[in-house]
Amino acid sequence: MNPVTIGHLVRLRYQLLWAKTRSRNGRIALFLAGYLLLVLLISLLASGGFGAALLAVRSGRAEKVAQAVLAGLFVEGVLAANILGFGMNAVFADTELRRYPLNAREREMARHLTGILDPFWFLFLALELGLALGLYGIGKGSFWFGFIGVLLLFVSNYLVARVVGLFIDHLMQRKGGAPLLLLFIMMLGIAPSTLGPWLAKHPEWVTAITQPLRYTPPFGAAAAMIHPDMVGVYGLGIILTWIVGLGALLSWMEKHPPRAHVAENVKIVWDTPFDRVAALFGPRMAPLVAHWLRFYARNPRMRTLFLMSVPLLAFLTFQSGRRMGPQSVFVAALGTVPVATFLGTSRFSVNQFGYVGGGFRRFFLFPMEAVANLRAGSYASLTYGGSMIPVALVAFTLLSPYTFDIRMPLMLICTGLTGLFVLNALGIWVTLYNPRKGNYNSNFGNDLSLGGNILLIGGVMCALMLPRLAYRFQPWVVAPQAWWVYLMLPPLAFAFYLVTMRMAGPIFISRREYLLAVVEGRL
Amino acid sequence: MDAIRITNLVKRYGSKPAVENLSLVVPAGTMFGFLGPNGSGKSTTIGCTTGLLDVTAGEIEIMGKRMTPDSADIKRRIGVMPETLGLFEPLYAHEFLAFVGRMFGLAETVVRDRVSELLEALELTDNSKTLSEYSTGMRKRVAFAAAVIHSPEVLFLDEPFESIDPAGVSLMKQWLRRFTEQGRTVFITSHVLETVERVCQEVAIVTKPGKLVWQGDIRTLANDGVLEFDGQKFDALEPLFLHLTGERSADLKWL
Repeated sequence: MNPVTIGHLVRLRYQLLWAKTRSRNGRIALFLAGYLLLVLLISLLASGGFGAALLAVRSGRAEKVAQAVLAGLFVEGVLAANILGFGMNAVFADTELRRYPLNAREREMARHLTGILDPFWFLFLALELGLALGLYGIGKGSFWFGFIGVLLLFVSNYLVARVVGLFIDHLMQRKGGAPLLLLFIMMLGIAPSTLGPWLAKHPEWVTAITQPLRYTPPFGAAAAMIHPDMVGVYGLGIILTWIVGLGALLSWMEKHPPRAHVAENVKIVWDTPFDRVAALFGPRMAPLVAHWLRFYARNPRMRTLFLMSVPLLAFLTFQSGRRMGPQSVFVAALGTVPVATFLGTSRFSVNQFGYVGGGFRRFFLFPMEAVANLRAGSYASLTYGGSMIPVALVAFTLLSPYTFDIRMPLMLICTGLTGLFVLNALGIWVTLYNPRKGNYNSNFGNDLSLGGNILLIGGVMCALMLPRLAYRFQPWVVAPQAWWVYLMLPPLAFAFYLVTMRMAGPIFISRREYLLAVVEGRL
Repeated sequence: MDAIRITNLVKRYGSKPAVENLSLVVPAGTMFGFLGPNGSGKSTTIGCTTGLLDVTAGEIEIMGKRMTPDSADIKRRIGVMPETLGLFEPLYAHEFLAFVGRMFGLAETVVRDRVSELLEALELTDNSKTLSEYSTGMRKRVAFAAAVIHSPEVLFLDEPFESIDPAGVSLMKQWLRRFTEQGRTVFITSHVLETVERVCQEVAIVTKPGKLVWQGDIRTLANDGVLEFDGQKFDALEPLFLHLTGERSADLKWL
């Protein structure tokens, strides 16, 4: 074992984190503040864990509460690591480590140490330690059993996250893997609200479901925290067994990496649907728009979001459309249709050039005004986003419980178009003023800038909340009788889009060197 | 007529100079080598000359017309192979080249013919891979194809020969020779001085930050002649380059 070199590599991982922030103006202070906040958060979480321990003891069901808290944290850790990419992006690839004097086992150790010694995982460790110390403090647990249980749980949580991550990688490399994963995520999202009422009616199933959970790491850790006897030892044994099993599985999976689907030599197709759709924008813009349509369509995350947006928003429409009167589904749809026009393309709409890398400079070598590139990218977003309006209308017409009223689809078209133009116009400003170099091929993880996140999350929240607020304070505004009010919205939004486009042109030219530096990773 | 005329070019990034008062004339029909050590402003000069970067001061003329970032008519007549290649990674080679051809206003039939010919000639016929999956040499070939697809009058090639195999380099050199024989101009930056010596007629050498230290005809070297500078004789480009840019001698005793 070569602990010194491995230690240097772990340090390098933190140096890289630091360098990333140092290269951006004024981010040093932010970084420091971020870490102070992190320390604060860790303290808070530790005390939160302590609070959970208090609750556990006072309720008289210490072990049950500990099991629930630890299981919740465990699942959250796995989901956050895989969906948001926390703690996973830091892991060095084996090929990167091969340049150092380390053997295979040491490389494996170095990779997983850089992964597990991440601030993200420390948050979970803090909460779990808080719970263990809380139970010990109140006299309901053993310090050493609890401490060892938490450490083992921490390791097993990381291993499960890595195994799930690799499993997703394997799945995504297979044909049909992406839709399968999508289906699974949606089922996971819908399960609590659909299974909850059913389980309430059939409590015998709750026992049947929770019985096997006794053999999972969180339940093992809970047993170790509460019982400083053979039951606790049994709990620790369960976690250790999992660690050994997961370690072996992870090792096997890493030795059998997913094989990329190798396509046969394909026949060249000159006239694609992208070219045919882009031809609608005129001969001058057509090649550029076709390029952007193709560029967007090849992006795995856009495809996933695009496919997911219809069922997800249908679900949101029916779930959130409660307590808003007899036409609650319609009121909710007034907010979800605009979101449908933006969600799929959002990654590009708010960071149009962040994924083109070195290709960005190519745009300035073409014999046309450079701003045409900005416009073409935005037109592609509008085309994809706009295509969701008829899909949403058909879904609404088929699924809504109302007799057909032409005013309703009309109003939905209006809010859809308004959202499309307003959010894409705002996206152009974020593209120009807060771009970020992103990874085109990543499926998960958040690689948007602060501005991009604010627009995406804020825009979606606004669109969803506005009809709700209108219903509460001015209900007539969201009734079909107010259809004529909605006719005014798309022209206003379109005007805003046009003004944005006009103003963005010179700014795009003047900021192109800055954009170039960002998208090529020099800033 | 001069193909490229750069007059008192200054480019600064903030207060940091990248090119200082560079003046250069490249006659039409020449293969022109633009040499300098790393960080001497070669790529920045190409960026300014091709309209990618704003100039801080100075003037650039291409084919007798003043170049600005929006000079679409000039851009139509030049081809550029940037140092970073400027590829769109998720595309296939034929898609990328067709896109570039269409952007330069080529007719659809011409685009299809030229793309097929270029792919064949540059041995890029593996259509199963996107550009991101290509090797460095193959990506370089694609970037070269993109620079020439519209048959430009002036060609800017930023380090074109690095990472390409000898057969590919030989083919490219043949094309470039024929290109200049037709009265067209090639502006090359490269660190491979032997290649520059063999293909270029004229060379300019710059030092940090973008200061011209020498410009001259190097054809004499091909006929076993010598270049004279500062009263010294140089029988190859490399000693002259090292003399001008400062030969470094750092002795690492442990190595």
